Amino acid sequence: MTLSDHTLKEIRELPPKYPHIRSAVMPALDLVQEELGMLTQEAMTQVAQALQVDPGYVEGVATFYSLFHLEPVGKHHLYVCNNLSCQLRGAEELLTHIKESIGVSEYGQVSADGLFSVEPVECLGACEYAPMLRADHRFHYDLTPAKIDTLLKEWRGDREGKKARKEAHPRAGSH
Amino acid sequence: MPAATELRGSHGKAAGPVLTKDFGTADLYKLAVYEKIGGYQAWRKALTTMQPAEVTGEVKASGLRGRGGAGFPTGTKWGFLPPPDGGPRYVVVNADESEPGTAKDRYLMENHPHQLVEGILIACYAIQAHHAWIYIRGEYDLQHDLVAAAIAEARTAGYLGEQPLGTEFPIDIHLYRGHGAYICGEETALLESLEGKRAQPRSRPPFPAVKGAWGRPTLLNNVETLSTLPWIISNGGAAYAKFGTEKSPGTRLFTVSGDVQRPGNYEMELGKPFSHLINDLAGGPFPGHSIKVWWPGGCSAPVLTGEMLETPSDMESLAAIGSMGGSGGVIVADDRRCVVRCAYRLLQFYAHESCGKCTPCRVGGNWAVRTYERVLAGEGTAADLATFDRIQTGLAAGRCLCGLGDSAGWVIQWTMERFRDEYEEHILRHTCSVEAAARA
Amino acid sequence: MTLTIDGHAVTVPKGTLIVEAAKLIGVEIPVFCYHHKLDPVGACRLCLVELSPGPPRAQTACTTPVAEGMTVRVTSPMAVKSRADILEFELTNHPLDCPVCDKGGECPLQDFTYRHGYPVSRVQEPRLHFAKPLPISDRIALDRERCVLCYRCTRYYDEVAWEQELTTNQRGVQSYIATQFDQPLQSVFSGNIIDLCPVGALTSRVWRFQSRPWDMDHTASVCSRCAVGCNVNLWERRGELMRVTARENVEIDDGWICDRGRFEYTHVNSPERLAQPRVQRRPAAWEEALSRIAAAIKGRGPRLGLSIPADITNEEAFLLARLLNGPLRGARVVMPGRTSLPGPPANQLAIKDLDGCRTIVVVAADVRADAPIVNLRVKKAVAKSGARLLTVNPELIDFDRHPGVEHVAYEPGHAAAAVRKLFDHPLLQEGPVGILYGDSAGAEDGAAIATAVAWLAKEIGAKVMPLYRATNERGVLALGILNGDSLDGCEYVFTWGQALAGGVPKGVRFLACWDDFARPYHDRAQVVIPAVTFAEDQGSYTNLEGRVQFLVPPLQPKPPLRQGWEVLQDLGLALGLGSDYLGIFQVQRDAAAAYPALAALAVPPAPAPPPAPVAMGAARP
Repeated sequence: MTLSDHTLKEIRELPPKYPHIRSAVMPALDLVQEELGMLTQEAMTQVAQALQVDPGYVEGVATFYSLFHLEPVGKHHLYVCNNLSCQLRGAEELLTHIKESIGVSEYGQVSADGLFSVEPVECLGACEYAPMLRADHRFHYDLTPAKIDTLLKEWRGDREGKKARKEAHPRAGSH
Repeated sequence: MPAATELRGSHGKAAGPVLTKDFGTADLYKLAVYEKIGGYQAWRKALTTMQPAEVTGEVKASGLRGRGGAGFPTGTKWGFLPPPDGGPRYVVVNADESEPGTAKDRYLMENHPHQLVEGILIACYAIQAHHAWIYIRGEYDLQHDLVAAAIAEARTAGYLGEQPLGTEFPIDIHLYRGHGAYICGEETALLESLEGKRAQPRSRPPFPAVKGAWGRPTLLNNVETLSTLPWIISNGGAAYAKFGTEKSPGTRLFTVSGDVQRPGNYEMELGKPFSHLINDLAGGPFPGHSIKVWWPGGCSAPVLTGEMLETPSDMESLAAIGSMGGSGGVIVADDRRCVVRCAYRLLQFYAHESCGKCTPCRVGGNWAVRTYERVLAGEGTAADLATFDRIQTGLAAGRCLCGLGDSAGWVIQWTMERFRDEYEEHILRHTCSVEAAARA
Repeated sequence: MTLTIDGHAVTVPKGTLIVEAAKLIGVEIPVFCYHHKLDPVGACRLCLVELSPGPPRAQTACTTPVAEGMTVRVTSPMAVKSRADILEFELTNHPLDCPVCDKGGECPLQDFTYRHGYPVSRVQEPRLHFAKPLPISDRIALDRERCVLCYRCTRYYDEVAWEQELTTNQRGVQSYIATQFDQPLQSVFSGNIIDLCPVGALTSRVWRFQSRPWDMDHTASVCSRCAVGCNVNLWERRGELMRVTARENVEIDDGWICDRGRFEYTHVNSPERLAQPRVQRRPAAWEEALSRIAAAIKGRGPRLGLSIPADITNEEAFLLARLLNGPLRGARVVMPGRTSLPGPPANQLAIKDLDGCRTIVVVAADVRADAPIVNLRVKKAVAKSGARLLTVNPELIDFDRHPGVEHVAYEPGHAAAAVRKLFDHPLLQEGPVGILYGDSAGAEDGAAIATAVAWLAKEIGAKVMPLYRATNERGVLALGILNGDSLDGCEYVFTWGQALAGGVPKGVRFLACWDDFARPYHDRAQVVIPAVTFAEDQGSYTNLEGRVQFLVPPLQPKPPLRQGWEVLQDLGLALGLGSDYLGIFQVQRDAAAAYPALAALAVPPAPAPPPAPVAMGAARP
């Protein structure tokens, strides 16, 4: 998958916002992931060309940070915190429940309908609301299996992902 | 844009005296509300009536110490920057809060973003920087938007921009999103990430004050540290120093999480005992249970036992019992929890978040995880106690490039030190009486 | 600054790293990530030492500069234990496959483990596994299990070569070195990562499994592939050239060589090489072959055409010049593959002086192709010394990807005019300025560019470096024997070395060829004689900055093969020239006396320095 001209144009406009061109790599990858849902080789190559590095540089950066996806994810990707504070309050049970509910056997696997994928993540910094998860650029707090069921139901009813897009954060980049 | 959700912490009646004094005010994140309660007066005071050195002087007088983890005196840190040479210099705000059990920077940003913006402006003026970069962790979407909106509001209102408050001190604040790497909380790794690289800590010297972001002098401060500045400038450093102890003045915002009845963010004067924080403010353990183990400052601060709850919260008292103030994230676990399993979870975290640059951390974390897995699977041998010891010695003792390795080593070291019988039970008898009792 | 290291006082300049100070007095501080040509990073933590004054923890000697009065303890119990622990960590996942590892025998990990490690391993966990070995180009293999992640290779790529096709992927213990999207490496500088690798993770596929380091001998020679004259070690075993490695000369190559120099050597050992003189395709003695040639070419004037190889030595060129001044007077002489640049300029810029340039201008040349290691030196000047770079080319070249490099484009064919217009360019107003120029791979008029560059250099007080392409182009130009670009119209042709670009001209009545391999047009030759290669030939080259350097061949020519100077001297005898050099030193003395540019030949090559004493490390814990 390659990038649209529109996104490429936005990427080319990034460098002047930073003191050095390499600072634009991650904001550019944000734009890629926003458009394609993941980072493809073709898109990373396009980013590299636009930012005057070899694609290997982009690949090295992309594989370092856990928020970049180099494999496809579901339309709603669930980041479930299971670090200690959340684990103490039932994160493991929650993860098992989510996997069963969306019908996947492994983390990172995309559900058959393409709607969901789930991964356990390290502390998301909302420990007083444990257990919690992040999906579609939003935190969801004080989770229980029942709350998960409600969320999943809501997302299943929103098959087009309109809500997800509406709630998406503003485009990356500096001010 | 609405605030996140129900506030949990020292708002309203239990509001703290400094950072959270205005919490509970409706729509506090809006500029108009903040201005109504005296917002940006400290910035006006600093910029229009004080010399940069005077600002630094007030901060030095306050005795404020960094709230990110290391607890280094803030004013002293500001003094490390070389005099301006005409080239760019930066204030970089560490908003990459990722220490397990720590959520206070998030709490400050989503509820009171203008207080942070004002603090950043004051710091910029003090060190004569015209650009600030807020490095905010990528998972903080709403917080990013709220801070961005606050910056935009402040710019429109003329608090920052080409001529803030009509002065010739152009100043701008930029946001930069992280992308999921705990190591970016380490200041030099943060700088690498800000420069668009793989976030691997730099060897020091040179220190960021001399050669930081994009090779230029840089001041790095944490969100909470900077959020404290408006109060200090408004009320004076001496007033701030009246809170807390002599060496750890002021208040700090603690996140209490885990096995307590009212988890939340609480501002508390330093020096008050943790029992006040955990039992009085956070509601204490659940009925029928007692606190067995707790981490006083994120999981990187060496673990303490339930008997140590009366420890005063100042950094010196913690250091005296082999721990540290750390990030202010207090994780509490009660008597149902197996310490070996907790340690395993934390080592998984450190292994996952090791950047891979230096050998001990890259190899040691993973080696520990594999050893814990074997022990927890009931396949431990008597040699594993020595193995754990080997790994923690290799990780700690300052042999790693940054503090992450030390922290990982301390988890092993101090859980073994304080709960050795649990380790021995796992390793030698291949059972866990704690979990067996909890299941029963 | 004076400090003591394990009780030995040493005085070094301010800013020196402890690890370098220790080298001076032969105290071994083991390192993996540290390399003196790369920025220190403090990643491997193997160089831990105890400092006083200093914190109560071991400190990395590779990142800590010395201080006056500092006491460094390499052998204190704390330092010794720290390093042994680090080595144990390194070996947690490293396979114990030294018996089948090419690095065995010259492996720092192996050596350091013996000298600094624990005597036994206490690791119980299974080792991590990766697919191996992984070809990462036709010439290099990667074994990720052996890798200790010192990042020398990736740092070299980014810092020195300004390329990022080799990087680290993933993080933590999952980190591994990878080429971009697993594509083969493309860089012309890739081979240096083999020399840099402190373990057996990056190995040469060309040399792989050929020999053990201790079974080989090596000579300190010079690369014959281009005009830069990088210093190399040529490794020999049982009469075969086994491999070529870099030999650091800070004034020329700074320790790097390009892939042509490193990997283009296997032809030396080829069984297909010509070994026997032939006359009319039947084997013949040298005397017969040379007298046939002499009889055919003597006194032919401009009807004789001679093509000479790019890597002709100064000595061979000198002997040839004698023939051209005598029995072969008037012959046309060409050197295929050379530039159209004229002889040496007046104000030569030395390669090492690039380091001190404020501004570097590159005119009509792709330095990466023409003079690869000069390309790296320019990058060093920009990255490490803050030099400003201006490229003057019709198209962007590899330098232009670096932020801050300025580019001036011109219409192809108008390079000289573009150079003259640089006169008031803002970047040239502050010196020292160095101007590198080529002929755009033959697309531009080299003489016109040289004239324009000389004018500009004089106006602004710059120094210049012509980027000759042929190995000894500069040496041959100094003798003034080249007088054409083509042998068209010549009836008597003697080709030496690489094939003529346009083939053998029509209407040739006599063809003699001197070559190391058979070529199709040899079928038409009356006489074919075998040539030696750089691994057997004695002599010297003049590099593009005018420096004369000696070849030190590790191999003897296998009879009946003869050295180039011997053949030329015997050809001279056959042509009636009364001279008889007994050895190459005589040739060199005469050449030095006859040509100022070859004055350096009067000084015979210095013997190779003795190997550095093995620095003894700390006692084992």
